[in-house]
Amino acid sequence: MSQDEYYRGILDRISDAFIGLFVYLISTIRKGWREKNRSRIAEWKLMFYALNRSPPGVIGLFLVTIFVFLGIFGPLIAPYKYNYFPIFENSKTYLSPPGEFFVLGADHFGRDLLSLLLQGARTSLVISIIVILLGVPAGIILGLIAGYFGGKIDELIMRITDMFLAFPPLILAIAFAAVLPDRISYLINTYPPLQQFLLWLFALERTEGGNLSRLLAVMIAMAVVWWPGYARITRGSTLTEREALYVESARAIGLPSSKIMLRHILPNIIGPILVYVTLDFGTVVLTEAGLSFLGLGATPPIADWGRIVYDGTQFFPNAWWLIIFPGFIVFLDVLGWNLLGDALRDVLDPKLRRSIEFKVKKVKKSKTKDMEIKEVEHE
Amino acid sequence: MSLSEAEYMVQENSRTLLRVENLKKYFPVKGLFFTKGYVKAVDDVSFTIEKGETFGLVGESGCGKTTVGRTILRLIEPTGGRIVYEGRDVTKFRKNEMGWFRKKAQIMFQDPYSSLNPRQTVFQLVMEPVKHHGIGVDDPEDFVVELLELVGLNEGHLYRYPHEFSGGQRQRIAMARILSLKPDFVVLDEPTSALDVSVQANILNTLKDIQEDMDLTYLFISHDLGIVKYMSHRTGVMYLGKIVEVGESDRLFEEPLHPYTKLLFSAIPVPDPDIEKSKGKIEVQGEPPSPINPPSGCRFHPRCPYAKEICREKEPEFKEIEKNHQVACWLY
Repeated sequence: MSQDEYYRGILDRISDAFIGLFVYLISTIRKGWREKNRSRIAEWKLMFYALNRSPPGVIGLFLVTIFVFLGIFGPLIAPYKYNYFPIFENSKTYLSPPGEFFVLGADHFGRDLLSLLLQGARTSLVISIIVILLGVPAGIILGLIAGYFGGKIDELIMRITDMFLAFPPLILAIAFAAVLPDRISYLINTYPPLQQFLLWLFALERTEGGNLSRLLAVMIAMAVVWWPGYARITRGSTLTEREALYVESARAIGLPSSKIMLRHILPNIIGPILVYVTLDFGTVVLTEAGLSFLGLGATPPIADWGRIVYDGTQFFPNAWWLIIFPGFIVFLDVLGWNLLGDALRDVLDPKLRRSIEFKVKKVKKSKTKDMEIKEVEHE
Repeated sequence: MSLSEAEYMVQENSRTLLRVENLKKYFPVKGLFFTKGYVKAVDDVSFTIEKGETFGLVGESGCGKTTVGRTILRLIEPTGGRIVYEGRDVTKFRKNEMGWFRKKAQIMFQDPYSSLNPRQTVFQLVMEPVKHHGIGVDDPEDFVVELLELVGLNEGHLYRYPHEFSGGQRQRIAMARILSLKPDFVVLDEPTSALDVSVQANILNTLKDIQEDMDLTYLFISHDLGIVKYMSHRTGVMYLGKIVEVGESDRLFEEPLHPYTKLLFSAIPVPDPDIEKSKGKIEVQGEPPSPINPPSGCRFHPRCPYAKEICREKEPEFKEIEKNHQVACWLY
């Protein structure tokens, strides 16, 4: 057995164990779930096997897992708070290089760069999730409607989509950042629970209520320009899928169009959309960092990767760590999502899964044969 | 409901389940800006189907037989004509009545590889129609297992996905899905043409058994003459969007009247090569013409060995030559 197969075997076993644990947890809550979903569980295992056969995909999943983990727990494990300014206590912390006071150095407020990066992981994760949660469902629904009904509805929706695609997102973001924050801050100040929820999401303290609205304005600007891509790919897939006989069969039963779209067409076209979403997680991180770099969005003391780089440009190249480290982190995050997205393309392709099913079975068979031969030799 | 329709209900033969009258379906051919013309997929088709019988519909590919099946169920909206089901005009149905009709009339498709949603388990596939129509079922699992056993599958198949089955098995799943609504009328749209011969016979026999058990009426669409002869009590022969001959299958296959029917039946291969040589095939002239510009008069005249002057000029009418045997041809 080659080295490759050995590692793959380990990965396969890890993913099997992971799925096993998941299945065990569900079936303790819902009795009989395992029996009813045997085929589905087998399919999940195959998906992981397919992923395990693509080294970039495994790396991508690894990176993404780390960044999601940091996004959730980063602010909690950060050694210092983002709004703690050591410079007031010790002026030597001002732009102190890595290793002097802090592992990764400090910024011009003497804040620990590592803590800022950990805090920034939360900011970027929450922003990507919100932008995608706002933009993607809207795009999917519009694309489904356009593709399924066709004709004039299709024409109308797609021309509006084209208009949004033609609009430069950067200018829209700048306009939104200029106009929206006042209204948003008014809105969230009138609903304290909403404000508290948002502060909790970003792991910020109560004093940052005012800064929050600027972040939200940029997020809304991004969500507004984010859906057209999804409307397009969803429409394209819907156009081919609506001709499938199972759609006609659903109509023959009398299902209304809404149910046919959501229950029958959507699950069958979700593969390419998921790939797109994964790739977009990276793009949103990048775009958001870019907007912050331009001075839109997050403002100090909110920790944001793009903002750290922006502030760091004033002190470059002396304080190189302020640009190199956050830049590298953004690079790794985007790389992880992209690698994972590319691998998902294969993982979500059912035809490819079949061929992997065949290979896995063959490997298992040959293994048992090897063992038999060895046993015979021993005798 | 209009008066004329009420009259219909009185006149309606109590044995008639479905009456198709002058059914038309034209598909527009779109040019850059304007509609260039119409594909007359179904042009003035009329026939009746009686309760409990199998009505076969044969014809070569592209003659519109599948369109007829779909138009009857209003999966495609008809351009003109009436579809009278149990005395009620289906083409005028509103939402509520369509709900009722969808429960009564079902369709089984040709290709079992695409007619089942690949993301649904057998259980979901079979339960979906029942759930949608709000039919109360005591124990869903028992209900589905019962249906599966009826069509020759078993309990072990309950939570599997379509890709785990063979073509024949998938067609059985499709059957169970249709039967879950306990319909009266089923359109069988070439249900076996995607399957290999040994499986075909099994599926056809299952369909026949179920028809007797559940008192179903079938519209059996196929291009395979042998299968139609085996399955159907009466048969209609379609050519280029029109029915050219209708009759009881035994008579029709024994003594076809229309030249096209003769031609079609003479193309059935006989297993014995000696008979095959001696039986004398009718020579076919040319290709089937385009349904966008169908020939004037009788649509079959350019290929017909018996074509006369009148065939070119006037369309023949449907005439009853003998009891239950109608043909549209100037020869009779």
